Amino acid sequence: MGAPVLVLFAGMVGFGAMGRTQGFDAWMTGLTSLLMFALPGQVVMLEMFISGSSLLAIGFAVTLTSTRFVTMVVTLFPQLHRRDRNPLLYLWVHMLAMTAWAVSMREFPRMRAQHRLNYFIGLALPCWLISPLGTVLGYYVAGWVPTPVTLALVFINPLFFLLTFTDVKPWGNRLAIGLGCLLGPLFFMLDADSSLLLTGLVGGTAAYLIDRRWLRPRPVEVQA
Amino acid sequence: MNADMQGWGVWLALSAACFGTYICRAAGVKLSGHIHQDSEVFRWLSAVTYAMVAALTVRMILLPLGLLASVPLSLRVLICALSVAVMVSSPQRRLVPALLTGTLLMLAYGVYSASP
Repeated sequence: MGAPVLVLFAGMVGFGAMGRTQGFDAWMTGLTSLLMFALPGQVVMLEMFISGSSLLAIGFAVTLTSTRFVTMVVTLFPQLHRRDRNPLLYLWVHMLAMTAWAVSMREFPRMRAQHRLNYFIGLALPCWLISPLGTVLGYYVAGWVPTPVTLALVFINPLFFLLTFTDVKPWGNRLAIGLGCLLGPLFFMLDADSSLLLTGLVGGTAAYLIDRRWLRPRPVEVQA
Repeated sequence: MNADMQGWGVWLALSAACFGTYICRAAGVKLSGHIHQDSEVFRWLSAVTYAMVAALTVRMILLPLGLLASVPLSLRVLICALSVAVMVSSPQRRLVPALLTGTLLMLAYGVYSASP
């Protein structure tokens, strides 16, 4: 699990550097990592704020990027022991991120149910705690290192998102990414404020419908 | 950047973003055990999210705000293309080497353009 944690940390450092170069406050930048702990959402918030989007649009867009957590939790938490499935999960769920989710999904089947929650906390809690540290580190580092280093740091997150797209498997989602890439700049030129939301809704819905109509393997129909 | 930015606006945006993010996590806990991950609404939401994050990524690379704008567009695209090539050069996906390729090339450009 060394590499995923390193990548998460690098992303947080990069986000801190972005916050610095865009003129955000250090507290504010660090708190987003502590309280949101979801890099795509954090970057969406920062970018939309700088480009002057309305609060409502920011709230909607960030919430949409976070809907992936619903799927992640729904697949992971039913694997916990029944004893552990109590209201405390509302606390632990805050520490969930892609890294801990992917590792837990891989390891849970190999361990007994009663050990899974402890394993998850042992993994997710450090990931969560190092994130604001990485962010604040990136924020201050960006202030005193030479500009080329800062340039590399602010490039980490866009590059990371781009690279993860190559790993997306379902065709519907691949199509959504393609449409997002095409429609994004177009809608941005039409109306910057709502462009991300609009691209997501139009491109995503179109990709979903095309996938459902033509791409998905048809379920075998049983004749009555 | 405007004067408002260090004021209330940014904290309101942060609160809205935190609230929206946590609501999704809590909804996951609430729903776990009741719904199936392959339901149609999840497929739709995941497509919408991918389209949105793709639009954001393209915007940050093609029309960046701030420091990245000082790098010529063609170079930004070239560095991205090289990194993606490293990433897909193995079926296991070389994420760390690909990330290093991109960031180090960006660093190299920064050093090169700063030298007289």
